Amino acid sequence: MMKLKRVISALLVLAMVFSLGACNNKEDKKTDTDSGTSDSGAAATEEELDYTFGLDTTFKSDEPITYSMMYSDHEIYPYQENWLVWDKIKEMTNVSFDLNIIARADYDDKKSLLINSGEAPYIIPKTYDESAFITGGAVVPISEWVQYMPNYMNFVETYQMEDDLKQITKSDGKYYKLPGMWEVPAGTGSEYTLVVRKDIFEKAGVDVTELEKDWTWDEFYDCLAKVQNYVGGNPIWSDRWKGDSLLKVVGQTYNVPAGWSLGDGMQYDAETDSWYFAETSEDYKEFVTLMNKFISSGILDPETFTQEDATAENKFKAGETYVIGSNRTVLSMYDQGLKETLGEGNYELYSIVLPVAKNNYQTENSRLENGIMISQKALDELGEAGFIKMLRFIDWLWYSEEGKIFTKWGVEGETYTVDSEGNYTLNSDITYNGLNPEGTKQLNVDYGFSNGVFSYGGTLDLAKSMLADDLKDFCERLNSYRTIKPLNPPVVGDEDQTEEMNLIKTPLMDYVKSATLQFVTGQMNVESDWDSYVASCEANNSQRYIDMYKEIYDSQK
Amino acid sequence: MKVSKSYRIFQIINTIIMIIIVAATLYPFLFLVAQSFSSEKAIYNGEVTIFPVGFNIETYKSIIKQGDFLLYYRNTILYAVLGTIISLFSTAILAYPLSKDKLRLNKVITPFVIFTMYFGGGLIPNYVLVNSLGMRNTIWAFLIPGAISTYYVLLMKSFFASLPQELEEAASIDGLGTFGIFIKIVFPLSKPIMATMVLFYAAGLWSNWFTPFIYFDSKDKWPVALYLRQIIYGATSTNEISAGLDQAQSIAASVKSASMVLMALPIICIYPFIQKYFVQGMMIGSVKG
Repeated sequence: MMKLKRVISALLVLAMVFSLGACNNKEDKKTDTDSGTSDSGAAATEEELDYTFGLDTTFKSDEPITYSMMYSDHEIYPYQENWLVWDKIKEMTNVSFDLNIIARADYDDKKSLLINSGEAPYIIPKTYDESAFITGGAVVPISEWVQYMPNYMNFVETYQMEDDLKQITKSDGKYYKLPGMWEVPAGTGSEYTLVVRKDIFEKAGVDVTELEKDWTWDEFYDCLAKVQNYVGGNPIWSDRWKGDSLLKVVGQTYNVPAGWSLGDGMQYDAETDSWYFAETSEDYKEFVTLMNKFISSGILDPETFTQEDATAENKFKAGETYVIGSNRTVLSMYDQGLKETLGEGNYELYSIVLPVAKNNYQTENSRLENGIMISQKALDELGEAGFIKMLRFIDWLWYSEEGKIFTKWGVEGETYTVDSEGNYTLNSDITYNGLNPEGTKQLNVDYGFSNGVFSYGGTLDLAKSMLADDLKDFCERLNSYRTIKPLNPPVVGDEDQTEEMNLIKTPLMDYVKSATLQFVTGQMNVESDWDSYVASCEANNSQRYIDMYKEIYDSQK
Repeated sequence: MKVSKSYRIFQIINTIIMIIIVAATLYPFLFLVAQSFSSEKAIYNGEVTIFPVGFNIETYKSIIKQGDFLLYYRNTILYAVLGTIISLFSTAILAYPLSKDKLRLNKVITPFVIFTMYFGGGLIPNYVLVNSLGMRNTIWAFLIPGAISTYYVLLMKSFFASLPQELEEAASIDGLGTFGIFIKIVFPLSKPIMATMVLFYAAGLWSNWFTPFIYFDSKDKWPVALYLRQIIYGATSTNEISAGLDQAQSIAASVKSASMVLMALPIICIYPFIQKYFVQGMMIGSVKG
């Protein structure tokens, strides 16, 4: 028996040694091929191109070609093999996709698995956060290649996107995804705001259309009190997104990062060109005092911070509440729900321009959206020339005017028409997001256009071309009453600094988050508990964090 | 037989507790069934409890009419049937020799089998392995790597060990080989444990969305569990802050409920018939005589 055990142990040891050896061999080989492809790639770029591309030219490959791509499958418009979008891409460019289809609920998990196992497809769209994939070297630092993409570069130059791109640039000076780029942050109608039941507000004697031009939060509070009085004293506002969107949009007006945009709580002061911790500022004090006023007066439902979205939504749809958080897409859901419960014509929805406090800014100032990462495997397997060819295809489909109109509106004549003044109209039998509500076919479900994987970013005109009238109106009001906040200068630490700061940030911001909720819901008092709150922030190393932040910023100036 | 007063009180309390447990477990399911037959409006208003409000079968009609759901359903049935056969066969042929003490290598092999209960290769190495074996995006990636569950091997092993050795010896004297003994003598005697295993494996395969999610690249291979996950979790997962142009709409609550009911139905229908084996199989295997 002992002998047998020894033999087995020896075999195991040998197996481990061999497998380690095998790993080494593989790595050697990989480096060989790496240098090989890059040499041959450089030579190939000088040969004649087998495709057309350019600013006003449709990308077209002479030979049929297939690129592998991850595809985030949306349950509202589930993937279909026979969508017109696939056929047309093939027809126009001679490119087809080898898709890895993943339900969007688990898209990020599978992306991580595929990249980490070295099996990622070439094109990885819909990437919100690329940070996790950078150190492994599995993703191409795309900023080194964008010069081969004429449409992308053209957009960057025309709309001065350089400062925006700095926001996604890492400490090595490179960025790793091709972001979706908008001409203006708001204007797409996707800005988060509050929607109110205008019919009830009017009956209560509140004219929001006039007030919203320059109202303050206190004036807004008075309006809500009037409405509450009119409807009988119950909470008239029960918000969704666990209050995170609400805290974000209100906090912004007080120059305080909160809710979804809490981040690390640091705020930039352009006058002194310095950073400060906004969560212990006087502005923060005023912000939580205001929020607490909404709760303590019974206007805002305290369940806002705990309930599921569906619960908040149902209260609004059932006509129990009259104010709720909103954005472009949920707005049409409210409309649909109210139509079923109250009946058409018995209600009126109105997206308000939010009140002001310490500034006159809109909530959003980022013009970037999620983006596309390119797998290193693409560069290894296609070689430099093939890689550039693929980039130029991406450049056409995602960044050219023609590509953007195609992925958004479809095919002229077949899905839409455009008049001499450049107005787009969907064919009457096709409906999309509030346009042509009577249409029997849907632009995304039945054709694959206006698909989140392809369609993002663009000019203001293009964004507006597809907005329903009420949203167009909201965007115009927003852009005329409020200005856009300038971008903060980027502060990017190296790997060690980032790690140390993250170690401080996580517990610190967890504390700030829970204290904010306690201030807002009244479990802590702004006056009597303030000193202990500030002391707890300092005990959580806030000062060390601020110092490091300033140090990095000063060194980058 | 006369029962004591205290026993009667015990029975009453016991019954009450059982009724509460039954209500707590049955209510969510009845609620789901009621929702699936109700109108969207009644669901919004929170009027639905355990009886449908605004009764209609439109939701079921639209789900069945939609081609994809039937395809996923067919896939699930295929995976459950084929997977159960593969799993049952592989588990049995591993458990049977392990149950024979006279085979000396058993003492060496058993620890290797048990080792896999505590340590796994991890997700990425498994993925790389399945991919290099050429099984990715084939149904075998779903059915083969997880075909044998160690825990079930051990259950089956102790069940086989409890069968009278004399029967096998008699069969051997009558001229049956090892495989013949296994098929003609042991297998027919093992119905309780086999039925339990069928239920375990089939239920596991029926509701498994993770393995297909990992290994399948195309939608035509999806099982219904993965589809269900997509429609239920889809809307909650997207980063709401930067949802941008993409729609954050949700699937109607009645559609979600009806899909869940359709998915749970077969297992619920089969369970009462296998239930008696279920308890029996677990118990018989657990004590070696």
